[in-house]
Amino acid sequence: MGDNFQNKTMAPVMMDYEFKIKTQNERSKVEDLFDFEGCKVGRGTYGHVYKARRKDGSDTKDYALKQIEGTGLSMSACREIALLRELKHPNVINLIRVFLSHTDRKVWLLFDYAEHDLWHIIKFHRAAKANKKSVMVPKGMVKSLLYQILDGIHYLHSNWVLHRDLKPANILVMGEGPERGRVKIADMGFARLFNAPLKPLADLDPVVVTFWYRAPELLLGARHYTKAIDIWAIGCIFAELLTSEPIFHCRQEDIKTSNPYHHDQLDRIFNVMGFPLEKDWEDIRKMPEHATLVKDFKRSNYQNCSLSKYMDRHKIKPDSKAFSLLQRLLLMDPNRRITSEQAMQDPYFSEDPLPTQDVFAWLSYSQQQPNERRPNEQTMRLMTQQNQVQANSHDHAANNAKRMRMSGPNQGNNNQGGGQQEFHQQQQMMYGGQQQGGGSQQQGNFQQRF
Amino acid sequence: MAGNFWQSSHHQQWMLDKQDLIRDRQHDLSKLTEEEYQKIFNFFASIIQVLGEQLKLRQQVIATATVYFKRFYARNSLKCIDPLLLAPTCVFLASKVEEFGVISNSRLITTCQTVIKNKFSYAYGQQEFPYRTNHILECEFYLLENLDCCLIVFQPYRPLLLFVQDIGQDDQLSTYAWRVVNDSLRTDVSLLYPPYQIAIGALHIACVMLGKENLKPWFAELNVDMDKIQEIVRAIINLYEMWKNYDEKKEIQGLLAKMPKPCPAPQR
Repeated sequence: MGDNFQNKTMAPVMMDYEFKIKTQNERSKVEDLFDFEGCKVGRGTYGHVYKARRKDGSDTKDYALKQIEGTGLSMSACREIALLRELKHPNVINLIRVFLSHTDRKVWLLFDYAEHDLWHIIKFHRAAKANKKSVMVPKGMVKSLLYQILDGIHYLHSNWVLHRDLKPANILVMGEGPERGRVKIADMGFARLFNAPLKPLADLDPVVVTFWYRAPELLLGARHYTKAIDIWAIGCIFAELLTSEPIFHCRQEDIKTSNPYHHDQLDRIFNVMGFPLEKDWEDIRKMPEHATLVKDFKRSNYQNCSLSKYMDRHKIKPDSKAFSLLQRLLLMDPNRRITSEQAMQDPYFSEDPLPTQDVFAWLSYSQQQPNERRPNEQTMRLMTQQNQVQANSHDHAANNAKRMRMSGPNQGNNNQGGGQQEFHQQQQMMYGGQQQGGGSQQQGNFQQRF
Repeated sequence: MAGNFWQSSHHQQWMLDKQDLIRDRQHDLSKLTEEEYQKIFNFFASIIQVLGEQLKLRQQVIATATVYFKRFYARNSLKCIDPLLLAPTCVFLASKVEEFGVISNSRLITTCQTVIKNKFSYAYGQQEFPYRTNHILECEFYLLENLDCCLIVFQPYRPLLLFVQDIGQDDQLSTYAWRVVNDSLRTDVSLLYPPYQIAIGALHIACVMLGKENLKPWFAELNVDMDKIQEIVRAIINLYEMWKNYDEKKEIQGLLAKMPKPCPAPQR
């Protein structure tokens, strides 16, 4: 591109030839250093993710290579690079390196590979539940997951970074290796610095958060993202870990709307939480969509709804420490919602079982099989088989497919029973809102090659 | 990280050493005197400033763009990339990182053309801004590589406002000090000192300009390396001294002619 302009106009030489050649020679190409052909593990609006290995064999670790959607440096690519370059925390995904491919103007980001994510973990437990094999997420595992999520978010928040798109698919968990069972918060492509906001956030990307995890103030047209919005999403994830059901599950048609107001989602929230009392959320009247709310909703329709009743139906006792923390995370009034720091101080975390660094440590106790040397492996394998089924039936939930895993040699060893496939179809309907088209062919393809 | 200067790439990678800086500039300083070199930077800092103002960017974004520009040439000779191309590229990249909102390619180029024609004709005469979007985009990749993807830059503005608050709100003082910080972008201090020290240096100069003797105890109580502050003050005062006897409109064409320039690919 730069070479021929000299001939076109009277333009001066923009770049020194020697400098250009020297830089070119020093630049490493992603395809020279990594093997990733045919190893696509995901596809979404953010781009493509590949599972990669070093070509030179200097280590045998798995890496995740993300090719950012589009060409060149979009604003979200710039933000992602700028922020990830600075962030360093055990519970936040670590950007190892950036590759710029000058010929096709593609941007590649290199990360450690995280084998698992909460979407798949919850899905696995949901499947087990549907098969009447009660394999709830172990209590200690839920607590460890939540604690590490809070730890990572506290780090982001204290560095003036908002996540803005927290959901189970964005909470990764490391597989076998030195960091086994450690939470990594990922996909902060839209994260931004929010001290001294230069522009109201809502102007930049109309829709950011998946509706199920969207705080009520966002649904009522709040113009600014806040820490409290991330906290609400964490509350939703906590509830989902406790019950294996998305707490504010709602049918959703088209999420590509720039209108933040979403009647059905609000209805679902009120059905679980009850309709907010004026005294519980004084500023609700100041919300941009308050008039619509008053017009569309009747308090009397939600008389018998409350979070404690909902959780009680799911066998979480209202007098438990877990419930009390959940209630503080899911306060409707964003000003009263607790901070990540306060949440980490909650008595829930000082009560037995104490949180652990390896969230899978709990699987060894609850699901140990006799004579199995690494008992948790079996459970992990179960999870992978779940994914196998997912791939076979052409589930292409775009966001979740990206960390899809194939079980390889263990394929035949199906512990799940025949009900799996059937369940999966329900699951697909259940999670239908997150699905986007176009992924099935690719997946069929990479599955063979994997 | 983004909220903590001490753990940032700015602190860990981009607090340069004065001696290294001088060494890396050897190529350019064999063709230009130090003063000429500074005058050239002063000129391109003006271009970045005016471009930013025309694009209605905030001072924070303009300052970040200026630091990108300085960082690039701290590691490379002026001849590597034409500064007239790198300057708008820095503005473009900084506006995305600081989330000003995307400046459209065509608006950027049009603004460059207008600014060069209307505000800098004393330097470029009838010559039009010669670059197009594809040049900016190609240049942007080189810039990002040379910055080693370190895009978050800490600026003295926020610490400055905090210090003024601590002193007791004084609008005159903060306005003056703010301007001194803007001027400091024309020197090397943003490559050599942490932003909070630059803020203190700027406050110091503002106090002297306003004759505010009563703030001496406030400075004395600060737990900072006063030698560093003095170095910053000296660098900025030197700039003011230079400005006194400098008529950019007369000299800049000669300086630009003398500036090391990119060499094209060898003809075959």
